[in-house]
Amino acid sequence: MSQARLPPPPPPQWVVSLNSPMPRPSKAASSIPDPPGFSSSRGGKQRQQQQQQATTKRPEDTDALKMKKAWEIAIAPSKQIPMNAIMMYMSGNSLQIFSIMMVLMLFKGPIQGLIGTNAAFAKYDTPSTHSRLLGVKVVYMLMQLALLCLGIWKVNAMGLLPTTRSDWLAWESERQPLERAHFAFR
Amino acid sequence: MRLQAALFFAACLSPAAAIYPDEVNHIDFHHALLGTPSPDSTFFLKPSPASNASLLYTLSDKLLLGAVNPRDGGLVWRQNISRSADSPAHGAGLLRGLDGNDAVVGAVGNYIASWSAQDGKVGWENRVSEGVVGDLELLELEDATATSGVRDTIAVVASEGAGIVRRLNGNTGKTVWEYKDTSGDVPFQVSSSSTEVFYISLQSAMLKGFKIKVTVLDPSTGQQTRQQILNTEADVATPESVLYVGANSASPIILWTDKSQKSLKVNVIGTKEINSITIDNTSGSEIRQITVHAPRKLNALPHFLVHFETEAGAWAEVFHVDLMSAKVTKAYQLPYLTGQSAVAASVIDANVYFTRITDLEAVVVSSASHGILGRWDLQKPSSDIALHSVSEVVAKGKSVAVRSALFRKHGDWQLIRNGQIEWSRHEDLIDAVAATWAETDAQEDLAHELEVEGHETLYGAYLHRVKRHIRDLEHLPDWLKDLPKRILSSILTDEVSNLDSFGVARSVIVATKNGRVYALDTGKHGAVSWGVQAVETSQWIVKAILASPGVATIYSDDGSSVTVDVSTGEIVSRIEPSNSKLHSIAVFEAQDGSSLATVGVREDGTPVTAFVNEDGFLVTTSIDGRVLGWFAKDNKTPVWEFVPPSGEKVVDATARPAHDPVASIGKVLGNRSVLYKYLNPNLALVTAVNEQTHTASFYLLDGVSGKVLHATTQAGVDSTQPIASVMSENWFAYSFWGDVDGSESSAKGYQLVISELYESPFPNDRGVLDSATNYSSTATLPLPHVISQAFMIPESISHMAVTQTRQGITTRQLLCTLPFSNSIVGIPRPVLDPRRPVDRDPTTAEAEEGLFRYAPYLDFDGKWYLSHTRDVAGIKAVLSSPTLLESTSLVFAYGSDIYGTRATPSQAFDILGKSFSKLQLVLTVVALGAGVTVLAPMTRRKQVNALWRA
Repeated sequence: MSQARLPPPPPPQWVVSLNSPMPRPSKAASSIPDPPGFSSSRGGKQRQQQQQQATTKRPEDTDALKMKKAWEIAIAPSKQIPMNAIMMYMSGNSLQIFSIMMVLMLFKGPIQGLIGTNAAFAKYDTPSTHSRLLGVKVVYMLMQLALLCLGIWKVNAMGLLPTTRSDWLAWESERQPLERAHFAFR
Repeated sequence: MRLQAALFFAACLSPAAAIYPDEVNHIDFHHALLGTPSPDSTFFLKPSPASNASLLYTLSDKLLLGAVNPRDGGLVWRQNISRSADSPAHGAGLLRGLDGNDAVVGAVGNYIASWSAQDGKVGWENRVSEGVVGDLELLELEDATATSGVRDTIAVVASEGAGIVRRLNGNTGKTVWEYKDTSGDVPFQVSSSSTEVFYISLQSAMLKGFKIKVTVLDPSTGQQTRQQILNTEADVATPESVLYVGANSASPIILWTDKSQKSLKVNVIGTKEINSITIDNTSGSEIRQITVHAPRKLNALPHFLVHFETEAGAWAEVFHVDLMSAKVTKAYQLPYLTGQSAVAASVIDANVYFTRITDLEAVVVSSASHGILGRWDLQKPSSDIALHSVSEVVAKGKSVAVRSALFRKHGDWQLIRNGQIEWSRHEDLIDAVAATWAETDAQEDLAHELEVEGHETLYGAYLHRVKRHIRDLEHLPDWLKDLPKRILSSILTDEVSNLDSFGVARSVIVATKNGRVYALDTGKHGAVSWGVQAVETSQWIVKAILASPGVATIYSDDGSSVTVDVSTGEIVSRIEPSNSKLHSIAVFEAQDGSSLATVGVREDGTPVTAFVNEDGFLVTTSIDGRVLGWFAKDNKTPVWEFVPPSGEKVVDATARPAHDPVASIGKVLGNRSVLYKYLNPNLALVTAVNEQTHTASFYLLDGVSGKVLHATTQAGVDSTQPIASVMSENWFAYSFWGDVDGSESSAKGYQLVISELYESPFPNDRGVLDSATNYSSTATLPLPHVISQAFMIPESISHMAVTQTRQGITTRQLLCTLPFSNSIVGIPRPVLDPRRPVDRDPTTAEAEEGLFRYAPYLDFDGKWYLSHTRDVAGIKAVLSSPTLLESTSLVFAYGSDIYGTRATPSQAFDILGKSFSKLQLVLTVVALGAGVTVLAPMTRRKQVNALWRA
């Protein structure tokens, strides 16, 4: 027991460097371009930003950013409208497997989008942004509905909507005579 | 562009609804009938000197000349000569054929013609201007001018007060020489021996009776060489008294009897002597008929057979003629046998054979001796009386074989070969007057049970059903036993041939003029299942045949009716005739079709009895051309009466068929709006003609109120030509022969007019009644909007019908009988659309609807001919019946020939085609299964190995 407790050995170098933040690269070092093929430059930036956010922790800035991103998502479906319109116009009104499949895809997207409205904006939904996100969601839904209208226009053009009299003909019945005549002509 | 046009043309030519060659004789059948063969114009003959097999030729009482293949009873060729003669034929025509001649020669009335024996092509025709042909004989004698295969014809023409004998050239039919007898004798017959031609006439004796006068003519010049008069006035009272005049024999004979039928008198033609032979009647009963059978060949032995028939039996005696002394001696006798017998003579080289067919056996004897050369027991003894027969004997060394074509009283023409019935032709069917589809009672029990279940409570119905299924289990062993066979047969045969369970094998009940009723099975190519003599008559006027499950009732015009069992032909019940003559039969059918009630309609249009149980209206026609409407409970005063304008006469009236389902109540236009059909089951189409002004009017009547809903008049109509009309769904069609009448019409010829009825001229409009679910004809009955279109057609239509399918989804075909080309054509309804655009191409919307540009001339497309190449002659009516398959409609035509087929107007969309091979499918599945079982362990092992190696 005479042995005195030895102070713990200093942590190894890698532990020190792991725990201490990375030194800021010097100006010269940051101006050095990444080697060709190095792909994680954006990820690096994001990490930097996150680190910055984490370090800066300004809630107003974060909310503004979140709103900006939310708006981008809300507007995104409208960008599909011209493309889809051209595609639908080009595919013709005949009932073929390709045009039917395209119309189905056209319906599937907006409907899924509408169902997943809250999910799409979940990561931007904070108590502070909640009220402001409502308008964004409405715009998003309107955009999806616009896409849906495009689909309905197409289905109508293909003659698949039961809008004419002939579509309901099978449910109309023959008028029954109240009297019956029997013929003896032979 | 040209390629596109070619492709479009090819698409149009695709065999839409046409009969495929492999369906011929498969889905259709045709009984090409001849009628009753006349006894002295029926014979076996080799069609040419070179051929080995002979054909059976006949000229029937319907003046149809035909050659029948004795092997299978099929018709080789047929000619209808009833239309060829200018003057009506007295009795049957004459047909003569001769071995060694390429042609057969026939005569009807004033018409003589020669037909190639092989194929029935006309060799020459000759119309006698002086009178009618009395007798005909082919001259067998060889002279220097004769060429092989061609024989000249000797014809006797009976004209006013004179008899003319003519020799006609065998190649051209031109007169070689003519002998005219102006003595005023009755021209009777002609006969010939190897050296002479005999003209036999009957000279009226002083008091009564006839003397037989034989004039002997030189065959090459026609000069009279001598004349003999036989003193026969005591025996021969009428020309019918002479029983037989032989011809083309070494010693032709004339045979008659004395008045009391005690002795036979025989004269060898050309001699003066009359041989008298006592008839040795041991039967004890009176002789009813005497027939003589002798060979008609120059080199045959001069033997002949006389057949005596009494009420109960028959015997025959064989006589020999001595050529030198012209004496006739009795050689031997075929014994008296009770029952019927028919005898025929046949010749091989010089030998003469007689074939006697009795009820039980067939016997062949030689004319020389009474030894029986061949005897066969008949396989199926028939109770039907044999009227006459012709035979052909083949000698095989010592034994003989014989085939006989036997005509029986009930109209069956049978070929009996060595006692076996080879085939049977039901020639009586040529007189078919009415027909209907039989209803079998097989499904009736099930329908009844289902009805019971429908009326019970839920639990009770369930119990009932369970009990029924348990009861059904008793059929399980049989079902299991049949299963391998069914599977095998369903794999081996294609679907088209195996549709009997889908209602394509229905039987048809046919009534003929002679009082017989037949059942024909359409599933067995129209084979006759049974035939019964329902009524003993020769003029049975059948007004209606009504089929109810298991039985069919045939109503005659005298008020009598016969009910027969459809599966056996047994007569179930009879109703005796009443005193009033009936014009038609009215049928009241209950709404569910379960019960039928009938009431007769007199010739003045009044129902015989009032109908208390029925709450309907009755529409009748009277014989003086009125249409009357009755309330069923009142048969005294009609509710309404339709009398056409003065001068017009109602010739025909038609209504919608009893089974006429409508799949869609409107017509969808190209822009997807709807034109609503005017559907009224009470419609009647009345055809009236005015013979003075040559107009035909068509009136569309409502059967309840008698209101004329639509009327149209066609000018320049020939009322002697057939005017056919038909009605179905919301349209009617009629055809007539229209003439050019000044500037009125530029169309001369046969026309087919189709009219469609709509509720309103505007799409999406249901007219006045709009959305009402029912209506009363007496209250508000809106008029239909009628769209009509006329087409020029190449020939006349004698009868129209419409194909019927189960639900009416399949497009309909207008079944038209074409009497000139002897065929039945099914015109698709889309072709006859009156809305086809006139003088312009269709718009896109119209093209989408299937309308194409109107062309006034409607040529019958070859694909439309249901009867394809068959010669379906004399059709009077066509019946159509739905089957369990929506695509398929059964068609049955009768009148003279019998024809049946299946029509698939929209193609057989619910049947797997012939190209579908079940065997291939099964083999593919088996092969795939085998592949999987072999490969699965291999793959598994490989995957496991791959895991280990990783």
